Amino acid sequence: MVALLIKNFIRSKGLLVGLAILFISGIISLNIGKQFLEKNEKIIQKTSHFQKENIDRYVQYMNKEMGLLLYYVRFGLVNETPNIVGLSIGQRDINPSLHNVTIRNLEEQKYTTDLMNPMYQLIGNMDLSFVIIYFFPLIIIAFGFNLVSEEKEEGTWSLVLSQTANTQKMLRLKAGVRYVSILSVLFLLLLIAKFYLSIPFDIYFTVYILTAFFYISFWFSLVWLVVSFHKNSSQNALILLTSWITLTIIVPALMNALVIQLYPIPEAFSTVLDSRDGYHSQWDKAKEPTIEKFHQLYPQLVKYNHPKDKDFSWLWYYAMQQMGDETAVASSKKLKEKIKQRENLSKKLGLWVPTIHTQLTMNTLCFSDITNYLAFIEALERFHEQKRMYFYPKIFSDTPVSSEKWDTFSLAYFKNQPVINLYMVLLPYLIISTLCLLWANINFNRKKYNL
Amino acid sequence: MKKRTIQIVAKQVWVHTLKNKSSFWLISFFNILLCFALISGYYHHYNQQKTVKAYSHDVRERWESNPDKHPHRMAHYGYVVFREKFPLSFFDFGMDSYVGNVVFLEAHKQNTINFSEASLSNGLLRFGEISVGMILQLLLPLLVFFWGFGLITEERQHGTLRILLTQGVSWQELIIGKAVGLFYLSLTTYLPCFLLAFVFLLLDASTYHNVEIIGRFLILIISYLSYFFILSLLAVYVSSRSKSSKTSLVSLIGFWLFFALILPKVSQVAGKNLFISPSKIEFDTAIEQELIEQGDSHNPNDPHFKKIKDSLLKAYHVDSTHKLPFNYGGYIMREGERLSAETYQKHQIKLIQVYQKQQNLIRLTAPLNPLIAIKNISMALSGTDYIAYNNFQNQVETYRYHLAQTMNELQMKYISNRVKNSADKNARIEKKHWEEFPDFKAEFLPLRAVFMNEIISFLSLISWIIGFWLLIKYSGKHLKAF
Repeated sequence: MVALLIKNFIRSKGLLVGLAILFISGIISLNIGKQFLEKNEKIIQKTSHFQKENIDRYVQYMNKEMGLLLYYVRFGLVNETPNIVGLSIGQRDINPSLHNVTIRNLEEQKYTTDLMNPMYQLIGNMDLSFVIIYFFPLIIIAFGFNLVSEEKEEGTWSLVLSQTANTQKMLRLKAGVRYVSILSVLFLLLLIAKFYLSIPFDIYFTVYILTAFFYISFWFSLVWLVVSFHKNSSQNALILLTSWITLTIIVPALMNALVIQLYPIPEAFSTVLDSRDGYHSQWDKAKEPTIEKFHQLYPQLVKYNHPKDKDFSWLWYYAMQQMGDETAVASSKKLKEKIKQRENLSKKLGLWVPTIHTQLTMNTLCFSDITNYLAFIEALERFHEQKRMYFYPKIFSDTPVSSEKWDTFSLAYFKNQPVINLYMVLLPYLIISTLCLLWANINFNRKKYNL
Repeated sequence: MKKRTIQIVAKQVWVHTLKNKSSFWLISFFNILLCFALISGYYHHYNQQKTVKAYSHDVRERWESNPDKHPHRMAHYGYVVFREKFPLSFFDFGMDSYVGNVVFLEAHKQNTINFSEASLSNGLLRFGEISVGMILQLLLPLLVFFWGFGLITEERQHGTLRILLTQGVSWQELIIGKAVGLFYLSLTTYLPCFLLAFVFLLLDASTYHNVEIIGRFLILIISYLSYFFILSLLAVYVSSRSKSSKTSLVSLIGFWLFFALILPKVSQVAGKNLFISPSKIEFDTAIEQELIEQGDSHNPNDPHFKKIKDSLLKAYHVDSTHKLPFNYGGYIMREGERLSAETYQKHQIKLIQVYQKQQNLIRLTAPLNPLIAIKNISMALSGTDYIAYNNFQNQVETYRYHLAQTMNELQMKYISNRVKNSADKNARIEKKHWEEFPDFKAEFLPLRAVFMNEIISFLSLISWIIGFWLLIKYSGKHLKAF
C-alpha cells in the first residue's frame, strides 16, 4: 500500500509543484542571507581600512597633544556576524553590527543608526526563517486539508473502508508520505545552507534544525487534528487558512501592540537630554566640582589635576565629557531594562504561539535578536571604558603622541554566546503537537466508520 | 445594462450571505478588530504626541535658561528635536516604526535621527503591526474573497445560472450586480470604523490647525472604497471564469499570497541589487574625504582658509585679523559650516535618490498590484511614508544649519577679535539672544505634494476599475453557463 500511496503522490502534479515552490523560495532566501553576509563583511573590511587611514591621518596632523588627537580618533567594535545570521537576519538589518566611537562621551555615540531604506525594513527580509514560518505551513495545509475529504468527495472513501481493515493506518500512511516529502525539502535546504553559507555544525545550527523540524511537525499535527473532524474540504481549508492568518499575522501583531503599550520607552528621549545637559552645562560651571566628581569615579586618577591658573585642560575637558555619560546613567539603564522587559514578555507569551516562538528562537540561535544587540551595546560600554582607562593617564600626563604604537589599534571584535535552554525551546512544540494528536485520535476513533 | 436588474442581483448576494450564521460572526470579528486597532492606534498616537510635546517643551526651556555665554558654545549645546507624528498616522502606521524619533542638532555635524520604535523592539515587530491600514489592506481582502469566490460558480453548479441567463439577465448585469452586492457586504465591516476614525479626527485639536487633514481623510476613504470595489469585481470575475468553487478560491488565495507577500519581497531583492545604497561608514567617509580636501575651519593655517584670510585683510585694508570689524573666528566658522553643510546635503540628496529609486521599483509594481497601490496611498495620506519622513529630515537639517549660522553671526557681531578664548568673560553674550532664536516647528507636506508623489498608485486604482469595466463588458461571450 505504501508503494501505491507514494505512486499516487508522485503522479499528482499539484503536490510536486508545492514542493518545488518551497524549494525555490528556500534557495532565494538562502541567497538573500548570503548577500546580507557579504555586505556585512564588506562593511567590516572597509571600516577596518578607514580606521587605519583615520588614525594615520590624525597622528600625522594632530600630533602635538594626546588630548586633541583622541578628540578625533575613532575605534571600532564589531558585533561578530557568524554565517548562521544568514538564516535569520532578525534585527540585524535595524541595529548596526559595528560601532565607531571616540573616547568622548558614549551616550551621544552609541545610539547612532545605520543608513537603511525604511521601506525595506518595513517589508522585511525573506530569509530562510521567513520561508519556514510562513510558506511551509501553507504548503502543508495545501497537502493535507483534503486528506480524508477528497476520498469522500471523489467517492473513493467506501472503497477505502471496504478494502482496508485499518483506515486510520491508511490515513496515517497517506499523511506520512506528505510529511516525509516536506521534511526532505526542509533537510535538503538546510544541507544546502550548511555548505552555501558555510555554517559550522555547532549547537546553534543543530537546535535551528530541531526547531524547524518541530515547527513543521506542529503544523502537520494541526492539519491532522482538523482533518479528524471529518468535515468537507472547503470547511477544512477555511479553518486551516484562518489558523494560518491568526498565527502568522493577527496574534503576533496584537501581542506586539500589547508589549509596546505595556512598556512605553520615554527613556529613549530622556537619555538624550540628560547626557547633553550633563556634558554641555559643565562649560558654564566651576571646574572644581566636575573634577572632584571625576576623581571620585576614578580614584586612580587623583594624581592628575587641573592647573589652577589655566582656563582649559584636557583633564577638565574629558571630565566634562564623562559627566554626560554619568548624568544619563539612570535613564540609559532604564532604557536597556525596558527593552529587556519587552523581550522577556514576548518570549514568555510567545511560548504558546508556535510562529512567534519559532521566530524568536531562530533569531536567538542566529545571533540576531535584540538580546544579542544589547549584549553588544554592553560590550561597547566596556570597550569604551577600557579605551578611556588606557588613554586617560597618557592624556593627563601629556605623553607624546609618537610614544604610542598606533598601528596596533585595529578593529576589535565581540562575540556573544547565547545560552540555549533546549527544554524551553522544544517543550512547547511537544506539548502543543501532542495535544493536537491526542484530540485527533479521539475524533478518529469515534468516527471510525463514518461515511 | 439595467440598473434595476443589478440592484436585484446585488440584493440577492446581500440577503444570501447574511443568512449564513458565520457572516454575523465574521462581520462582528472584523468590526471589533478594526475598532480595537483604531482605538489602540489612536491611544498610542495620543501618548506619543504628549511625550513629544512635553520633551520638546523641556528642550526649549533648557535652551532659553542657558546663562550668558559664548555663542559657539551654544552652537555645540545645540538643540534636540523629537519627531512629531502626523495627526492621521494612527490610521496607518506605515514606516513610522522604522524611522527615527530623536535627533541631536549641533554645529559642524549631522547626527542620525535615532530611536526608531524598531530599534527598541524585538522580532515580534517584524510580523507586522496591527493598524486599521494593515487590516484593510491585508486581512479584509481575504474576507471579500471568501464571500465572493462561489458567487458565480455555485450558481453554475446548482444549475441556477442557466435559469438566470434565460430570464434575461445579461452576464454584465450579473457580474456587476454580484460585485456591487459583495461591495455592500464589505462595507458592513469597515464603515463603522471609518465613522469612528472621523469622530476621532473631529475631537483632535490638531485637525483644526490643518484643515487639509479632513481632505486627506476623505481621499483616503474614497481610495479604500475603490480598493474594495476592485477586490469585489476581482472575486466575482475570477468566480465567473472558474470551473469550480475550489479553483476559484485557490486562484483568489494564490492572488493574495503573490501580491501581499511574494511580490513586495521580490521587488525588494531586485531593488537592493539594482540600486546599491551606501552603508553609514561609506557615506561618512565619502563626506569626510571631501571635507578634508576643502580644508579645516578649525585650523588657522589651512590653505583654503588662509586664502580667505588674505582676501579679507586686503578688502578691509588691515594687516591683522584682530583689526577686522567683525569676529574673524566666527566668519571662518560660518564659511566652514556652509561648506560642510553643502557637502553633506549633496551626499544626502544622492542617498535619498537611491532610496527613491529602490522604492519606485516597488511603486512601479502598483499598476499590477492593487495591494501595493493602496498601501502606498494609505501611507502617503496618513503621513507615514518616506517623503513625509524625508520632509522632516530636511527641516531638521535646515534648522540645524540656521542655528549654527545664527550663532556664528552672533559671534561675528558681538565677540571682539581680542578675546583669548571662549572662557573669557568678554566672550559672553547675553542670554536674551537664546530666547530670540525661534523654536523648531515641524511643517507637514501639503496635500498636493503628497498626491503628486503617489500619482502612479492613484492612476493604478483608477485603471483597475476601468480595466475591469472593459473586461466585463467584452467578456460575456467567453463565459460558460454550465
